Amino acid sequence: MSSASPGSTTGTPRRPEAARSRPTDLATDGLPTLALRGVTKTYPNGKAALREVNLTVPEGDFVFLVGPSGAGKSTLIRLVIREELATKGKVILEGRDLARLKRREIPRIRRRIGIVFQDFKLLPNKSVRDNVAFALEVTGTPRSRIGPAVDRVLRVVGLSAQADQRPGELSGGEQQRTAIARALVHDPRLFIADEPTGNLDPQISWEIIQLLLRINEMGVTVLMATHNAEVVTALRKRVIGLEDGRVVRDEMGAAYHRED
Amino acid sequence: MIAFVAFSLRRAWQGFWRNGLMSLAATASMVLMLVMLSGLVILLSGLDATLKYVESEVEVVAYLKDSATPQDVSLLQADLKAMPQVASVTYVSKEQALADFQTRQPDVANLVNALPNNPLPASFQIGLRDAGGYIDVATFLRSQSPVDTVQDIKKTVSQMISVISVLRTGGIAVLAIVGLTVLFIIVNTIRLAVVARAEEIEIMRLVGASDAFIRWPFIFEGALVGLLGAAITIGLLILVQARLAGLLSDFFEVLPVQASAMVGQNVALIVLGTGVGIGVLGSYLSVRSYLRR
Repeated sequence: MSSASPGSTTGTPRRPEAARSRPTDLATDGLPTLALRGVTKTYPNGKAALREVNLTVPEGDFVFLVGPSGAGKSTLIRLVIREELATKGKVILEGRDLARLKRREIPRIRRRIGIVFQDFKLLPNKSVRDNVAFALEVTGTPRSRIGPAVDRVLRVVGLSAQADQRPGELSGGEQQRTAIARALVHDPRLFIADEPTGNLDPQISWEIIQLLLRINEMGVTVLMATHNAEVVTALRKRVIGLEDGRVVRDEMGAAYHRED
Repeated sequence: MIAFVAFSLRRAWQGFWRNGLMSLAATASMVLMLVMLSGLVILLSGLDATLKYVESEVEVVAYLKDSATPQDVSLLQADLKAMPQVASVTYVSKEQALADFQTRQPDVANLVNALPNNPLPASFQIGLRDAGGYIDVATFLRSQSPVDTVQDIKKTVSQMISVISVLRTGGIAVLAIVGLTVLFIIVNTIRLAVVARAEEIEIMRLVGASDAFIRWPFIFEGALVGLLGAAITIGLLILVQARLAGLLSDFFEVLPVQASAMVGQNVALIVLGTGVGIGVLGSYLSVRSYLRR
């Protein structure tokens, strides 16, 4: 259960307390960023998308969420961003039970989460800069603070030079980096990537992964749902496997496929 | 707060122009509805004025027997005044009736003087609050002993009143139906405009925009559609005003009613209020389904 196996390509300096923690450990080392306790999600049509899911993600962790389509990965993410509520059990983000949030608290907790998707979800008629600034504008950030914040995250993702281009003029990788910049601009504590490399070729995928690792190095907890076996196996991070709505494996330094 | 309003207005303005086609569709249906609405309002207010005029002209005349004593007369007058249907009661004495007759018919005035006594009866002229009270008042009068005869209201006037009442009730019903139908169409058109931007709303929700930040730009945009629709409608009305005024004065020629003064300003206000109101309502309803989760 070491934090990084010999095959790891990263030198991610885990925080000591994060490195000691076990996947299912309760808060022996401070508040975990994310915790699911006996979470079951049944949709109105009777389909159970998640069954009795327990997991703890300590602060600063980097977690791959793997499993076949329909295993419940997307449902899990929708519960974490409080797009949906668990039918049973608790979803706890930074110590807050999401089911007990008041309506008006939901937007505030979402600003603690950065999220990107396979399809980028950029606004096609806005420039890169305006797409990123949008996240600040719609949350009531004073205009004087928007410019510097946008410039900073564009530097982080390496898009300063493309700031005035529109998504249609960018490559897929650049579009995803724009989405990442937008997700970072609120200084989230948890970064969720839902199949971020699903539409990208291998070379570009690696660039995106490197960026996510950098974000993780900055202390942000990263949760990445993916089918990209090559990336998962190469990085030897924590891997949580979902199948039919259940957690079937939760291993540190694991590969995409079970190795035992 | 000011920053929030400025933000919402700016977004509304951008939203309106960036989604040109949907905005155009919404504004066009808004104009269509408002034109229909103002047409109906003009027609209805015309009918209303006509009805009011006709009604104001309706009075019941009761001729009294010569044998009626002054006490009988004043008792009856008090009874009439107490009736809720009655607006005014005027007593016309025999002498007054004769004098009136002589001024109206100066040619035969001397002839009247030759008569041994005054042949004209005293009468009550009773003004009604509304024409519908006629039957009650007439029935009451016929049952009173001092009353000789009750003059029949002219058949045509009574028919006219009932036709106009039906038209007015019908007009309001048509207005309500048309209004609801078009409200439905406009709400749906605005809904389409909002659906076209579902992704934008989704992004706003994901980055943690509060409901107010999502809702108000759309509400302002709806108000803008209403405002623009109202402005175009009022512009169209001003363009056809000359012809319309001619039509109306033809229509009202027979009646001493001030048509144009009554119509213009009210219609403009109704058009403006309805346009903006429906625009706002449509946006509110459309966005609500995205926020309620």
